[in-house]
Amino acid sequence: MIVASYDVVVIGGGPAGLAAAVSSHESGASTLLIEREDRLGGILKQCIHDGFGLERFNQRLTGPEYACKEIEKLRECGVKVFLNSFVREIKQLERGFELEIQNSKGVARVGTKSIVFAMGCRERSAKQVFIHGTRPAGVMTAGQAQFFINIQGYMPSKRAVILGSGDIGLIMARRLVLEGAEVEGVYEIKSEPSGLSRNIAQCLEDFNIPLHLSTTVTRVFGKERVEGVEVAQIDSNFKIVEGTQRYIPCDSLILSVGLIPENDMLETLGLVLDNSTKGPYVDQNMHTMLDGAFSCGNALHVNDLADFVSESGEIAGRSAALFAKGELLRGESLPVEDNGKFLYKVPQFADPCSSEDLIFYFRVKKECRNARLEVKNGDDVVFSKKYMVLRPPEMEKVIIKPEKIVHKDRSLVFNLVEANNE
Amino acid sequence: MQKFLQSLEKKLIKKGFANIKVSLVNESVLLEGEVDSLDQKLEAGYIAAGFPFNQVISNVSIKNLKEEPFPKASLTDESLNGSIYDVVIIGAGVIGCSIASKLSAYNLSVLLLEKESDVGMHASSRNDGVIHPGIAAKPGSLKAKYNVRGNEAYTKLCEDLNVPFFRPGSLIVFGSSALRLLLPIFKMRARANGVKGTRYISRKSLMRKEPYIEGKQYGAFYMPTTGQLSPYRLVVALAEHAVENGVKVSLDTLVSGFEKDGDGIYSVATNKGSIKAGLVINSAGAWADKIAEFAGDKFYSLHFRKGVDVIVDRKKAQFLNHIMARPSFNLAKTKTKGGGLIKTIEGNVLIGPTAHEVVEREDYSTSSVDISQLSNHFKLNKKIEVSDIITFFAGVRACTYKEDFIIEKSKRVRNFIHVAGIQSPGLASAPAIAEDVVNMSLDILSSKMVIDKNPNYSEKRKFSIPETRSMDAKHLEELVKKNPKYGTIVCRCEQISEGEIRDVFRSPLVPVSLDSIKRRTGAITGRCHGGFCTPRIFQIIQEETGLPVEAITKKGGRSPVILKKTKGDIDYSYVKTSAQEDVQ
Ligand SMILES: Cc1cc2nc3c(=O)[nH]c(=O)nc-3n(C[C@H](O)[C@H](O)[C@H](O)COP(=O)(O)OP(=O)(O)OC[C@H]3O[C@@H](n4cnc5c(N)ncnc54)[C@H](O)[C@@H]3O)c2cc1C
Ligand SMILES: Cc1cc2nc3c(=O)[nH]c(=O)nc-3n(C[C@H](O)[C@H](O)[C@H](O)COP(=O)(O)OP(=O)(O)OC[C@H]3O[C@@H](n4cnc5c(N)ncnc54)[C@H](O)[C@@H]3O)c2cc1C
Repeated sequence: MIVASYDVVVIGGGPAGLAAAVSSHESGASTLLIEREDRLGGILKQCIHDGFGLERFNQRLTGPEYACKEIEKLRECGVKVFLNSFVREIKQLERGFELEIQNSKGVARVGTKSIVFAMGCRERSAKQVFIHGTRPAGVMTAGQAQFFINIQGYMPSKRAVILGSGDIGLIMARRLVLEGAEVEGVYEIKSEPSGLSRNIAQCLEDFNIPLHLSTTVTRVFGKERVEGVEVAQIDSNFKIVEGTQRYIPCDSLILSVGLIPENDMLETLGLVLDNSTKGPYVDQNMHTMLDGAFSCGNALHVNDLADFVSESGEIAGRSAALFAKGELLRGESLPVEDNGKFLYKVPQFADPCSSEDLIFYFRVKKECRNARLEVKNGDDVVFSKKYMVLRPPEMEKVIIKPEKIVHKDRSLVFNLVEANNE
Repeated sequence: MQKFLQSLEKKLIKKGFANIKVSLVNESVLLEGEVDSLDQKLEAGYIAAGFPFNQVISNVSIKNLKEEPFPKASLTDESLNGSIYDVVIIGAGVIGCSIASKLSAYNLSVLLLEKESDVGMHASSRNDGVIHPGIAAKPGSLKAKYNVRGNEAYTKLCEDLNVPFFRPGSLIVFGSSALRLLLPIFKMRARANGVKGTRYISRKSLMRKEPYIEGKQYGAFYMPTTGQLSPYRLVVALAEHAVENGVKVSLDTLVSGFEKDGDGIYSVATNKGSIKAGLVINSAGAWADKIAEFAGDKFYSLHFRKGVDVIVDRKKAQFLNHIMARPSFNLAKTKTKGGGLIKTIEGNVLIGPTAHEVVEREDYSTSSVDISQLSNHFKLNKKIEVSDIITFFAGVRACTYKEDFIIEKSKRVRNFIHVAGIQSPGLASAPAIAEDVVNMSLDILSSKMVIDKNPNYSEKRKFSIPETRSMDAKHLEELVKKNPKYGTIVCRCEQISEGEIRDVFRSPLVPVSLDSIKRRTGAITGRCHGGFCTPRIFQIIQEETGLPVEAITKKGGRSPVILKKTKGDIDYSYVKTSAQEDVQ
């Protein structure tokens, strides 16, 4: 059993973990990156479409290209990486943590002063959205279909119905058509699509794939393989509109019904998750409520762009390195509140004593137009911006300088007011 | 008997079933005619069951509903044709596998036939895994007798088979002082059925045992012998144990009839040819009444009661310590109803099952109604919520109208044994049922042959897959040093290693569907439901079996996961041939 010690251990080698490992190393911390799979890059490995990197590299890259750039940076700084390695257990010590890691060589114990959690997310499955009927082969998540097609070269479908208008579903609708399959339609229970507008245009409209809003799959048919599904319209209370049921023959049902951050490891350490993000509560240093534990990327909250994921990874890596050196002090934790118009805001706490910029990401609950966002600290407005349109699928970013927070004992409040109410 | 027929006829007329004809067949009452609904068919059957005939055969049809067709085999070959066995067992559920496992102690040639691609695909893997204490069944019933004996047998059986098993005990909690008045009934039942160790516990000790119990409770009836195990692990272990001791298991093999020779069965007809059998055991679960009919000994009909269970996130398992239910008012009757909260050996919480009658024998569909029926149980615990449900499943209980087991030598066919109507608590009863069926078998066979013990028999199952997730670092390290594949995790949610998955292919009984790997290793059963690991397990199946991807199924038959390769997968073999031709 090997015993080694690091300043920072990063768990997860997707874009978040990669950026965290690089920035931790650059901040002078001895760093170890642990990845469960045999290659770095996380989900990006299977995202062969383009649209990545516009923010970070000013370039349109595919997922694997984006990952390559990040992996190249990591290689240059020579951070130690364990591939095919699984963290079995994390123990909290009086100072720092001890990890038990398994791989094909055996079991290793590693000590560390801080940990960056960057495990990404998993997809919500058929059972979690209560799809009823029979249990045939051919019901799968969009990410699973993506892996089969893009990584393994296998077609799991010839005629598909897609449930949910999340981005992965939209992208897979196009991918299936390019591979010669038929996509009967994309069905979305809500009255608005959950994917980015650009994906609706480029993946559905350009390929004549119909999008049915306020419609959902109510039943699956077929004993061995999917033979068809029943869809029905949904009213504003999410109840089925009787008489609108219709049967669609198909050989598969592909689900794009949401992502859930992977944080079971954090929960075993006793951290409580934010119900709205399903990630931990953090401050602007990506520091969770547990000293020395940091979170970033999709494990923190589901991001719409990998570029933001990398950004949060950088912050987490840097903060973790500072913490290990004893240079990250926790001052106040001011709660960040809002006027009820938000799905969520991250970070959920602000530390006015920290020199780190306050970078907030938020999503609104409902689409709003001509809206003004004001962020207040006490009675002072510390940030203000007007938005033409805000939609839940699109994440927004706000940067506030920490020196603007003068009332160190008053919370920050996000207020969103639509123009016609002003 | 004629007298009873007449009074049954009168009663049926009174209840509005004038068009149902009654007659006596094989000491049972036969009902014929047509009704409007399943409910009516059941009502008529239950009325008949109230009379002292042996069993009820219901050939009553339901208007506008065709009889469910007998299953069809997905392949045919001659691989079993002309083979000869001392014993042929039909159906590899927990009953068939238990019998096979116990019979393997004798020097007999035994063939276990299963129509599906794996053992235990029906009721035996679609249940709660509860080893009931034996209190629910009517004193004197076969259910009561076998359940109590079966429960006792499980500790040693699971040790021998290396199947995880525990006895968390169960609690019937009294939500009101009025309900507590039922206590004497429970006590009487326990005494009559011979259930050991039961007692009343006060509200205070209930709170100590179940700190997260909701609301004001008036104590509970405590049954410490109640156990729980993973039903499919058990069935697989039983089948593997049987194979290790010489039993042959033939999967994908559908029994579709018999060739008779006088009052005995001469051979068993299957899609793999015809098999000569010294003795035939009918443990065909939901199809047992059809098999009895094929054998010329139909004296009962089955009806089908679906049950749905939900599984709750394992995070919540810490808030439940026992198997817990409210008193069920059906205690007096023998139908299973009610359900409750079940702490499982795998560290989950199961909630259920529901109970409602269905027409189809293998109808495992679920609906939102099923789930909402279970919502009441959530109220028993403060911490477990509907939003914690991670998955749900359905199973079907095959029941006679008398609502009891049928375990007997056929009275009309010399070499045929019925093990039918094995509804709940069939799992709990299985070891005891198997013991008696083995004795019946030896009885029948010993008239024509001398039966010895199997000299190579081992009570212990030899094969088992190590569970790396529960090993401490030292043991895992040793294991990984021997086989590095135990170090590589494939299923992240349940922490199942590549070694464990590959082990399935070295097991005594190798099936090759995704679901069979799921049942043997626990992979795919976690939070992501296989979202991440399915493609990788797929690759392992392919490497281990050499099957083309399109031939790998979710659950056997026609359930492929992959339909074809992506574009650009050209058959390159022609390139080689033409190149060779060019050279020549
Ligand atoms: C199926 C799917 C498809 C997606 N498609 C797109 C898309 O097309 N476009 C887009 O912009 N975004 C997409 N996303 C969102 C995408 O996840 C993010 O853009 C980005 O990849 C998130 O980066 P991350 O590093 O946080 O997580 P990931 O990329 O998921 O990386 C997490 C890494 O952590 C590793 N890991 C997890 N747990 C452990 C552990 N216990 N031990 C060791 N390693 C561990 C994982 O193996 C993985 O490599 C998709 C997400 C999913 C789930
Ligand atoms: C929801 C639910 C919960 C339950 N919970 C419990 C519990 O907690 N405790 C308990 O003790 N009991 C429980 N039970 C009951 C228990 O599951 C059954 O009693 C038991 O599994 C019956 O086993 P079996 O072998 O008779 O039937 P099955 O498991 O159905 O096996 C019969 C087998 O025969 C095969 N077969 C049928 N016809 C043919 C043919 N013609 N040729 C070849 N093969 C054939 C079938 O494919 C099948 O595999 C529950 C049942 C349900 C539905």
